[in-house]
Amino acid sequence: MTEREKVVTGPLSQVNLLEPLLTVDNVCKDFSLNDGKKFPVLKNLSFSIKNIQNKPQIVSILGPSGIGKTTILRIIAALERPTSGHILITEDEPNKMRDVKLGDVGVVFQKYPLFDDLSVLDNLVQPGIRIAKLDAKVAREQALQYLDKFELFKQSLYWPVQLSGGQRQRVAILQQLMTNKHFIILDEPFSGLDPVSITNVINLIKNIANQHTLNTFIIITHDITSALTVSDTIYLLGREVDEKGEALPGARIMKEYDLISEGLAYLPDIEEKARFAEIRKEIKLDIFPRL
Amino acid sequence: MDSNIEITSTKEKTSPLLEAFRVYGEVSTFVRSNLIAIWVLLFLGLWLLSVALRKSMAETMTSTELLDNWLYNLVRPFPSPSEVTTALYNMWAKHQLLSHVWSTLKLNVIGLIYSSIISLVISYLSVIPIFKPFNSFVKLLRYIPFIGFTLIFFSLFTIGWPTKVAMLTTGMTFFLVTSMTDVINSIPRMKYELAKVLGYNDWQVFYNVVVRPTLPQMIDMVAQNAAIGWIMITSIETYSRNEKGIGTQLYAYYSTNNLPEVYALLLIIGFIALLEDSLFSFLKRFLFPYSVIAERG
Repeated sequence: MTEREKVVTGPLSQVNLLEPLLTVDNVCKDFSLNDGKKFPVLKNLSFSIKNIQNKPQIVSILGPSGIGKTTILRIIAALERPTSGHILITEDEPNKMRDVKLGDVGVVFQKYPLFDDLSVLDNLVQPGIRIAKLDAKVAREQALQYLDKFELFKQSLYWPVQLSGGQRQRVAILQQLMTNKHFIILDEPFSGLDPVSITNVINLIKNIANQHTLNTFIIITHDITSALTVSDTIYLLGREVDEKGEALPGARIMKEYDLISEGLAYLPDIEEKARFAEIRKEIKLDIFPRL
Repeated sequence: MDSNIEITSTKEKTSPLLEAFRVYGEVSTFVRSNLIAIWVLLFLGLWLLSVALRKSMAETMTSTELLDNWLYNLVRPFPSPSEVTTALYNMWAKHQLLSHVWSTLKLNVIGLIYSSIISLVISYLSVIPIFKPFNSFVKLLRYIPFIGFTLIFFSLFTIGWPTKVAMLTTGMTFFLVTSMTDVINSIPRMKYELAKVLGYNDWQVFYNVVVRPTLPQMIDMVAQNAAIGWIMITSIETYSRNEKGIGTQLYAYYSTNNLPEVYALLLIIGFIALLEDSLFSFLKRFLFPYSVIAERG
């Protein structure tokens, strides 16, 4: 039994192997420039997040700064519409999909916005009541359990302005969990953190992902090492190059790293594996500089 | 630590007085209170000095010389503190001062309540695109001279209390809508998006992102507008001079050159403004404690 299987508490009996949960289908996104011309940011972007034995999973979309990662986030979360293409999300029935709509996918934004006029506890309880339709008492109990598990119990009655950056990040993630969403996108969760804090965030994400088998985390990041350490699958975002070696506009998925079949996923000592170093080097020295 | 090592403290030492002159200088509560006292004393000192100067110049110079003297013209309007105190006592004892103050205060509070409610509705509705042009139109009206509205009010209401309330409410609403809409416009887009990705519907976004979190700032705006109201109120009250009010009294005393009474009334307005400011500040701290913590950083 793997490390992850030990902690998963969800229904392992309902296994649907490799059933697509979220599909990004041929998505293009153009932005209008001041001179009226169109600038393609995303071009024929396609990938699919599939169910892995009904377990939680962590998928990273990795790419250098300015390539369009946040645009992908906004399109997947239905905050923006693609110029063409579809984002399809699974319905309750297997293999039945529909277009994504606002509220289907949770987002933990980079600056961790919270409702500043609500206590930390109420920031968790309110979405539980309003969105997950939990009974007030149940929502409160669940929120307190989360806060206790993630060392925020003492801060339950604090105002968000009284929290540190790390505490705020945890509350923002837990707030999304309270809505019982299947997908949660984390926008640059490792940005601006020191190595120790990065390790803490990686452990936090793994820990939270394991709270329920239905959780799927999509991490948008430019941090190669962290993405490799935390993910099951990595989609490398990049641009095609012309004959002169110059990048053409419009990002798309250049490569997929399936860390499960590579035998790297779920390993606590992943960073010591030779294949880990190889992949990191490949991305860092070979692929990233060309993007 | 090696005891042979000589340590020289490079910590900058500044006196509390010097700190008071530095940008963002850190002064204790004791120093801060004393600084307020110093300013009050300075104000009183300057007042007494100008009165003494006026008297001395009046005694030593001829009328023609006084007319051309800029210093005399500068200090001439200031009555002495004792003259102001006497005027205050006379107005209280003989001229129903309290009744005039009550009338103006009532007008100020009622105008403030009406304008706050109207402005809150107009500015909150600005987040709904169809109402945005109406909001912009109301904001533009603050440039229109007051006289433009008086005829409308005179034809709509009887001259007197209803007209005064309508004029004050309208005047304050134009400014309140402008400042309240600015507060709403400053809500970061990320806050709207957070509510949307959580799955909140339009009304939930409206209440949780637009209405509830901006209430503390709205109190600030109302407090600021209460002050604007006091500026308007004195001129509004002069439209019906046979009624009670500080404005009518100010006009009457000013036209008859009773400057001690004028300054006494101005002091009363200052005192009421101080009370109103303290009340709004207390309300904000009491109802929205997080906003005070956020402001302190």
